[in-house]
This record gives sequence, C-alpha cells and structure tokens, in this order.
Amino acid sequence: MRPTLLIVDDHAGFRALARRLLGSGGFEVVGEAADGRAGVAAARELRPDVVLLDIQLPDIDGFEVLARLRDGPVGPAVVLTSTRDRADYGERVDHSGASGFIPKAELSGAAVLAVIGSGRMG
Amino acid sequence: MRGLRLALALLALAAGLVNLALIVRAGDAPPRSHIYLVIVIVGVSWSFVAAGLVAWRRRPDNHTGALMVAVGLAYALPGLRLVQTPLGFTLYLLVATLPSAVLAHLLAVFPDGRATTRLQRVFIVANYATTVPLAFVQLLLVDPARLRCPECPNDLLGTGGQHPYGDAVMVVSDLWDVVLAGLLLWIVVSRWRRAPAARRRGLAPVVQVAVVLLVLFSVRQALRAVLSPPPLWLDGALDLAVLTTLMLWPLAFLAGLARSRLDRSAVGDLAIELEQAPSPDRLQQALARALHDPTVQLAYWLPDQQAFVDEAARPVELPPAGGGRSVTFLRHDGDTVAALIHDAALDDEPELVQAVAATARLTIENQRLQAEVRAQLEEVRASRARIVQFGDAERRRVERNLHDGAQQRLVNLSLALGIARSQVPATADGELAAALDEAARELRLALAELRELARGIHPVILSEAGLGPALASLAERSPIPATVAAAPGGRLPARVEETAYYVASEALANAAKHAHATAVSISARRCDGGLVVEVGDDGVGGADPNGSGLRGLADRVAALDGHLRVDSPTGRGTRITAELPCGS
Repeated sequence: MRPTLLIVDDHAGFRALARRLLGSGGFEVVGEAADGRAGVAAARELRPDVVLLDIQLPDIDGFEVLARLRDGPVGPAVVLTSTRDRADYGERVDHSGASGFIPKAELSGAAVLAVIGSGRMG
Repeated sequence: MRGLRLALALLALAAGLVNLALIVRAGDAPPRSHIYLVIVIVGVSWSFVAAGLVAWRRRPDNHTGALMVAVGLAYALPGLRLVQTPLGFTLYLLVATLPSAVLAHLLAVFPDGRATTRLQRVFIVANYATTVPLAFVQLLLVDPARLRCPECPNDLLGTGGQHPYGDAVMVVSDLWDVVLAGLLLWIVVSRWRRAPAARRRGLAPVVQVAVVLLVLFSVRQALRAVLSPPPLWLDGALDLAVLTTLMLWPLAFLAGLARSRLDRSAVGDLAIELEQAPSPDRLQQALARALHDPTVQLAYWLPDQQAFVDEAARPVELPPAGGGRSVTFLRHDGDTVAALIHDAALDDEPELVQAVAATARLTIENQRLQAEVRAQLEEVRASRARIVQFGDAERRRVERNLHDGAQQRLVNLSLALGIARSQVPATADGELAAALDEAARELRLALAELRELARGIHPVILSEAGLGPALASLAERSPIPATVAAAPGGRLPARVEETAYYVASEALANAAKHAHATAVSISARRCDGGLVVEVGDDGVGGADPNGSGLRGLADRVAALDGHLRVDSPTGRGTRITAELPCGS
C-alpha cells in the first residue's frame, strides 16, 4: 500500500503540481489545505502518513502547525518545504521535530521517501 | 508736579523751622520733655517728607509717596502745643489725632499706595471716621491735665475736665487705639506673608520697623488706658521710643530702595559670571540670583517654529497677564530673542530687569541659537532614523514580493519540468531528455541566484531566527573562512539586529573583496543596554573609513545614535567596531 500524504501550502499552482508529482512518485495524496489551521484540521481528520508542510503560510507558520500536530493525537511524519533555503531558517528546522526539509524546487517522490526514511532511522 | 513737590518740601521745611523757633521762644516755660518731643517730631516730619518726595519722584503713579509727604506735614502740627495760649492749645487738641490717622493709612496701603483687600478698605475708613472726631470729643469733655499736659494752658472752651465722663472717654479712646493698632499689625504682617520672594527683599526693613512701631504704640496706649494716667516719666519714655521708631521708618524705606540699587550693582557680578559662558542651567540660576527671584524662567524664541522653548527645546507657554507672573521680552535689532518669565513683583523694578536683560542678552542670544540648533538636530536625527526604518521596511517588502512572486513561479516551473521529464519514456530520443535536464539545471542556477539576491536585499533568517543564527549563516556562506566568536542569545529590537547584521555583512564583504584576508572573526556582545559588534580580519589593512561602503555603514549606525570605529593600520588587518544603543 502506498503511504498517504497531505499537502499544506497556500499556492494552488504549487499544490496541483505537487499532487501530480508525488502521486506519480509513490504517494497517495489524500488531501490539500491552503493555510495552517486548515492543515491542522485536515491532518487530524485524514490521518495521513506524511504531511508536506510549507513554512510560509498566511495565518500561522509551518513551525506552529508542526507544534500543534505534535500536541495532538495524530503523529504523521512531517516534511517541511519552502521556496527559501533550509539555512534561511537557521536551526529552527533542526529543532522543529520535522522529519526533514526539502526545498520546493527539489521536490520529488524520491526526495520525500528519502527524508521520511532517514527520519525513521534517525 | 515738580513745582508742587518743591512747594511741599519748602512747606515742610518752614513748618519744622517754625516748630524749632517756638522751642527757642518758649525758653524754659514748657516742660523739658515736650522740647525733646518736638525736636523728635521735627525729625519725623522732615524724614517722612524727604523720603516721600523720593518715592513720589520714583513712582508718580503710586500714591505712597504723596501719602508719606502727608504724614510728614501732619507731624509738623503737634508743635502747636508749644504756643502757650488757649487758642494755640485748642488748635493743637483739634489736630492731635490727625498725624497718627494718616500714618495708619500709609502703613495699611504700603507699598501699593491703595487698599487691595476689603479689610484694608474697612480699616482705613474706620480709622479716619473714629480717631479724628475723637479729638473734638476730648476737647469737649476731657480735662487738659489728663491729656499728658499738666502745665498746659486751658483751652478756649474752658469746659474740659468738668465733665464726669471725661475719664471714661479717655480710656475708651486709648483702648480703641490698641484695637486699631492690632488690626494694622495684622494687615502689615499678612501683606508681608503674601508678598512674593522677589518683593520681600525690598519690603523687609520697612515691615520690621512698622512691627516694632505698632507694638510700642499698642503698649503705650494700653498703659494709658490701664493706669490712667501712667507716671509721666514712663509715658514720656514710651512717647520718645514710638517717635524715634517712627523717624526710622522713612530711613528703612530708603534702605529698601538702596537695596534695589545694590541689586542693580549686582548686575556687575552677573556680567562676570557670564564671562565664563555658562550652561543654560547656570545662566538661569545666575539670572535668578541677580533678580532675587528663584522662579525666573528663560524662554528662547524660535523663529522657525514661531514658538518659545526652554533650553531642552521643549515648548514654553507664556503666562497670561495679571496672573502673578510677568514677562519681559528681550529684543535685538527689533527682533524678539527671548522672554524672561518672572514674578510680577519685579514689575516694580523695571530698571533692574532691564539691566539684567541687557547684561545677559549676548549670552541669551547665544543660548537661543544653541537651542535652535538642538531643535533642528533633534528633527534631523528623528528623520534620519525614520529614513533608515523606512528603507528597511521597503527591503523586507521587496524580499517578500520576490519570494511570493518570481521565486514561486520559478519553483512551479521547476516542478513542471520535473513532471515533463518523468513523462519522457526511456525508449525515446535522448535529445529531449537532455534538453529537459539542461533546462532544469539552468532553472536551479537561476533560482539559486534569485535566492542570493533576495537574501542580499533582506536576510529572512534575521527576522525569522534572530541575530545569532543570521550571523552564523552569514559566516557559513562567506567566501573566506569566518567564525562567530560571540553572538547574543534571544532577540533584540529589529532595527538593532538589522544594523548589526549589515555591519557584519559589509565588513565580511570588504574583507573578501579588498583586504585579501584569510580569516575573519565576528562577535556581537550585549554591553550596557546596547550591543557591540566587532569584525576583525587578518588582511592588508588600510581601509578608507570614508569609502562609500564604510561611510554608509557609519551613517546607518549613527541613525541609531551609535558609533562606528574603523581601525585599519596598513599591513595589520582591519577591525570594525560598532556600538549600538538598544534604546527604547
């Protein structure tokens, strides 16, 4: 069975492309959310295996979404993503509890699998 | 006016001389004590007239001077008692109470020259209305022997002394005098207590003498009422004491005037003090001393703002007219330079205020210019800080626009290319796959360049994670090895973080571009509520602090009221230090 995945990003164009890319890259995309609070709600409802989470969101940022998910009953693997570099966020990504970080331009099914694979091993 | 004053002076002189002539003519006939008294009375008369004329000339619009002359002339009248005839003695009895009545009037209104309270008005009316008619009553009812004049001739009516109520009238009259004197004492003392500090100085001698006088007078009248009559020696001695004190009163008045004159000579001290270019605080204190008014306030006129300000460029409201505070404007070539706000009591001494103002004008003008410059500097400083803040906000906005716009589109393009690439069957012509791979590579480079550009415009990490991580990231990306020796934990005000970051970033860029350095060390430490950023390299040194990069950095630091130091001896590396106050 393919792992289920939720996309949280405020750009519809990016969500559509990511859905196609990851759908053909080994994941079953079960939902999309356009802001942080909708993302938290969708994750609790859909219980996906993986959440692809943009850091820059219009309401609460990705780190805050992550913190709320960790406090909640569901514990999906979270992959942070951003147009910016990981270095632009300093050590916040390391301390966030996410499985990993993928720059948006380098997103692919293989990249996500690699991150959650290494996250599990770590 | 001058003619009138001259005439009055001559009249007083003549009256005094007549009194003295009467003494000579009388020879040994009247009691010796009367002769002494008349001599003292002539002294009182002349001293009041002389001091009154001085006061009159000084302030023609104030009635005090005229009133003092009136007191002086009135005191020439009791000499009539030396005319050893029934007519002379009768006239003496009729006017005997007039001098003290006019004197009481003077003391009640001094120094304003008119009654200012209800109590004063009531007192003046009651004083004249009772004491002057009392003379007639005494003339009609009282034995001349009871009037402290056993050897005096009989009066014209010749009825005095026979009346059974004569003694009672005298006792009531003396007691009434005590009551009036008590009221007057109250009026004098409360006027003194209400007087502002600036006026008390001139009033002090006059008030002191008046208090002594009124106490002595009350004692004399009380003894007369109680002992009726007291022994002649005692009464005569008290009489002499009262009159001698009275003679001192005009002298005390002149002493008060002399004090004001001395004050004006104290302007010389002010001039010496001003030689040392005092601070605005010291100037104000010196003015307060010279004017004997601790409440003096100096306000400088700022033509730019059309407003008065204090030495710290804060606006100053001028007091409204008639509120106990007065304003003297200082002008230069017809332009207002400053305003002296002082106690209204100083309006009595315009010469003093003008002398002080003229002496201090240059210093005040100087201070005014400084206040003006300070106000302008404050304005420039605020606008410079606003410009920097606006610039920073604008850079944040541009970076965000890049991130949300062009970068996002290029990212989407990259993903679309990835999808396209994955659709190319492995069996297909290799050229399509190669072209797509080439496009993806170019796109990655474009995205990397765009990210670098955005970071140069505004480092997101600074607002996201703070100065420490931002400096670490800066060091990581530096083309020459750089270490962060110290960085403050936690967050600082955004403008401090941004300025500190730009200092480090510009210094790193210089080290790489111009200094040919091989190692750079960055440190940022909290210090005395501020932040000290230091960047040192091991390059060739000789950096020009006035080069455009460092000059711009110095301006940025100065916009936060900080200091930038560039220490760059040739051949021994460069050290750039920025001290940034965290301020409010």
